[in-house]
Amino acid sequence: MTDITLIVNGEEKTASVPPETTLLKMLREDLNYTGAKLGCDVGDCGACTVLVDGMAVNACLMLAGQAEGKKIETIEGLSTLEEYHPIQKAFEDVAALQCGFCGPGMIMSTKALIDQGEDLTKQEIKDALSGNLCRCTGYTKIIEGVIDAYEEITGKKVPEENPRAA
Amino acid sequence: MKPFDFVQPATTDAAIAALAEHSPNVRILAGGTDYVVELKFVTESPGVVVDVSRLEDLKGIELTDAGLRIGAGVTHTEIMEHPLIAEHAPAMIDAAHTVGAVQTRNLGTLGGNLVTCVPSMDSGPTLMALDAQVTILGPNGTRSMDLVEFFVGVRKTALQPDELLLEIIIPKENLGKPAGFIKFGLRKGQALALVNAASSFTIEDGKFKDVRISLGAVAPVVIRATKAEAVLEGQAVSEELINEAAKVSVTEANPIDDFRASKEYRNDLIEVGTRRTLQAALDIANSRANG
Repeated sequence: MTDITLIVNGEEKTASVPPETTLLKMLREDLNYTGAKLGCDVGDCGACTVLVDGMAVNACLMLAGQAEGKKIETIEGLSTLEEYHPIQKAFEDVAALQCGFCGPGMIMSTKALIDQGEDLTKQEIKDALSGNLCRCTGYTKIIEGVIDAYEEITGKKVPEENPRAA
Repeated sequence: MKPFDFVQPATTDAAIAALAEHSPNVRILAGGTDYVVELKFVTESPGVVVDVSRLEDLKGIELTDAGLRIGAGVTHTEIMEHPLIAEHAPAMIDAAHTVGAVQTRNLGTLGGNLVTCVPSMDSGPTLMALDAQVTILGPNGTRSMDLVEFFVGVRKTALQPDELLLEIIIPKENLGKPAGFIKFGLRKGQALALVNAASSFTIEDGKFKDVRISLGAVAPVVIRATKAEAVLEGQAVSEELINEAAKVSVTEANPIDDFRASKEYRNDLIEVGTRRTLQAALDIANSRANG
């Protein structure tokens, strides 16, 4: 067992875990951050997406030891009891989620994308979310939610897409 | 996962010492996008896992006397965003962009992609088309070899158990060389390659020079299509000859026939991929000549 310390949503958290513990397992089972989900467990579905030093990663593919000392952002860090984060609000407004299992991963990938501060096109948004799978076939509404959140947060506009392109 | 001992050396020398101490029951962990998955399925403990993901010597992209040096621990995302790659080897950005998705590109490293050495790796063809070399660190210091010699078989490289891949170097003379890369998968996002292709050449006195054609996912390792290269080398530039080289490239590959795609379809993709990447290199060469 090794003591691993993470900065989770701004708070220092330590747990003693064996080396074969993934970041996801430590977050969920040792620190009780159960927002990130265990889906495929092989880095395909993105349900476990959290931000490590601002970058979206699959928490199921990172060993807790590799995350030692790093800044972790999870879905729990976005909202307060009083107020949703603008991404969550946008997702709710367009009814982006059905069962919601992919939601924390989708929203954290969206946050990493918007935090980069780049001008975005719809295609770039799709590309940035290609590592997050939704099995309710809900991509259209999810992309709408991301666009709304991006426009709300940055004050920019996503260019209209030529329907014949892409 | 089976229990293992976890070592996080502070320097590459310490990593080499750890490999020597625990060899052969030791494995290297970098980005983990492949190896952590493997760890979840293995039935026996690997013994010791050496985490090299924080080693500074494996980081960084810079110009050196030898050419463009890319640390083995550089992530695919870093490749996509680095100005020196954009300036000197932009085809590498296209290749990096086809690796997995954002989350895996943020974790996965160029060195890891090469060392894992699966036939469908996306980094190999472009690097091979640019005559990339690798530097390997071992107990007796460093050694260099061409990437084409580094790939030995499916999941097998020239790396010895006590060695570490240190860096990838694109030789100085190939910086800015016109090159193209294309990947064919079953969909746009997060797909394994059915066929990868990369080509490069320069044009001198209206003739093809230093032609390189490299194919991935069509043989146990990433290969050079040398017969197709020979079709073009030293000949006057023409699109007909590019079409001819593309046809010849098919004869040099031996793609598998499986549930993802038939051998026949993959062969068609090889011809199309070779042709389009040669055409992409030609477009770059022409735009430079005209502008």
